[in-house]
Amino acid sequence: MSAPGRRTTRGLAIKIQESVFSKETYRGSATVIVLLILWETAAQLGLPVIKNIPPLTSVLDAFREVIFDSSYWGSWGASFHRIFTGFIVAQIIGIPLGLLMGTSRFFREMTLPVFEVLRPIPPLAWVPAAAIFWPTREMSIIFVTFLGAFFVLILNIVSGARAIDSRYIRAATSMGSRRKDIFWRIVLPATLPSIIVGMTVGIGLAWNTVVAAEMIASRSGLGFMTWRSYVTFTYPLIVVGMISIGIAGYISSGIIRLLGHHITPWLRTN
Amino acid sequence: MNTVSYAMELPGANVANPALSSRPSVGKLSIRDASIIYDPEGVHVVAVENCSLEIPAGEFCVIVGPPECGKTTLLNAIAGFRDLTFGEIYLDDQLLCSADKTTPPGADRIVVFRDGALFPWDTVLDNVIYGPVVQGKMKKKEAREAGEELLSRMGLVGISRSYPGEISCGMRRRAEIARAMMNDPKVLLLDEPFRAMDALTRTVIQKYLLDVYDASNKTVFFITHDLEEAIFLGTKVVVYTARPGKVKKLIQVDIPRPRDFRVLSSERYQDLKEEVIEAVRDEARKAIEADERKRA
Repeated sequence: MSAPGRRTTRGLAIKIQESVFSKETYRGSATVIVLLILWETAAQLGLPVIKNIPPLTSVLDAFREVIFDSSYWGSWGASFHRIFTGFIVAQIIGIPLGLLMGTSRFFREMTLPVFEVLRPIPPLAWVPAAAIFWPTREMSIIFVTFLGAFFVLILNIVSGARAIDSRYIRAATSMGSRRKDIFWRIVLPATLPSIIVGMTVGIGLAWNTVVAAEMIASRSGLGFMTWRSYVTFTYPLIVVGMISIGIAGYISSGIIRLLGHHITPWLRTN
Repeated sequence: MNTVSYAMELPGANVANPALSSRPSVGKLSIRDASIIYDPEGVHVVAVENCSLEIPAGEFCVIVGPPECGKTTLLNAIAGFRDLTFGEIYLDDQLLCSADKTTPPGADRIVVFRDGALFPWDTVLDNVIYGPVVQGKMKKKEAREAGEELLSRMGLVGISRSYPGEISCGMRRRAEIARAMMNDPKVLLLDEPFRAMDALTRTVIQKYLLDVYDASNKTVFFITHDLEEAIFLGTKVVVYTARPGKVKKLIQVDIPRPRDFRVLSSERYQDLKEEVIEAVRDEARKAIEADERKRA
């Protein structure tokens, strides 16, 4: 085969190289660079409103200092730990629960009302209750992060499971499938795209929640770091915090996207 | 019996005249006074009414009729997806369905669906070998080999690791037929399988289907609205009335097999085509009028 297949190492290396040096990367990078230039220019020129934002140069200085500060990376660690734990637990509980709700009408009718009442409550509104309920502050933040990812995951899985075309079930039944075959070979693969969507949105919500929860209720993490910068008047560090959160979120979403890409190979065609 | 025996040239299979094949004939369908009435939202719908039809084992029987006349409903009843309200259906003289009994869907009556039902998340080969693997009839390796063989007989080479989304419509349909045949069904049920295809692709796929039929001598229950396709493929063409559907006319297509596109210009074909058009035209008009009345 002349074209690199998806299963060879060389093929994979070529694909990575192609995606890093692609038009996509150039276009995306170009926009980022332009925005950075505009930011610095506006700050230097002293434009109204924008002049209150720390200029790019001072933010870069702050970054340079902070990179060697172990407590900065400690913040990363603390936030990631909460995201990781909360998100993973949300998947462990949410995926089976979502599949059950999506496939069993009886179960769905029993659980959906409760679910739909709890879902609109913003995870942050849970912080006080969580702080009382859970033994440690850390656990209450993880719990709130879990909630952020959990509800959106269930929602996506239920709608995905319910939308499975009955033709597939019929075809599988005709070919002698038992109930467990229908589940593992039809329902699960058919719902995987919805699970991935739930995970992708969920990781974003988890980050939103963790940052805010840290600002209210914690003494560690990127959110706390950002908030503390405000309170201690070290403004360039606010921007550092925000950009760090953005990068951390980007990395997390990238991991989910890669995972999704890997477990749904049939969706790669376009 | 080896699930794959039909895939090779059967000893004794006489391709020129399958009736001389020494392969035992199974798949005799006997539909007696079947009626299917259902009640979606309280509207009493008679989909099929007193339909009686005998399909001998190994016959390629084509059902034509106006849309919404109950052909698919009847197919679903044979396949076990739907209950009969009255009447009986027998497969090889065993009761398949009646008002009190519905045999659950099984590998003895496999359906090839109208818009295709290849599993998008499995490769073509995994799709084709699904049946035997899931039933435990074959080990994966054995099944893979047999599946590849079957795919190549359908003219599908090199796509076994592709996903259905990556191949053309014609290839998908052939793969689905291969998947059906992999289960060695007694009856092959096809519900307007080539409907979504362009005319050129359709002629190619029809030929593959005929090759499969000639080699395996399965009973085929084929639904179509395309009259030319019906006569080209079928041994017997059953003209169905507008809803409630029942058999209006049976036309024997005595064109010898194997058939190819040259058949389409023969005189016998033209005569048969006229006969079928005559029978269907009336029913088509009635169906359209009924539909317009319903919407008025």
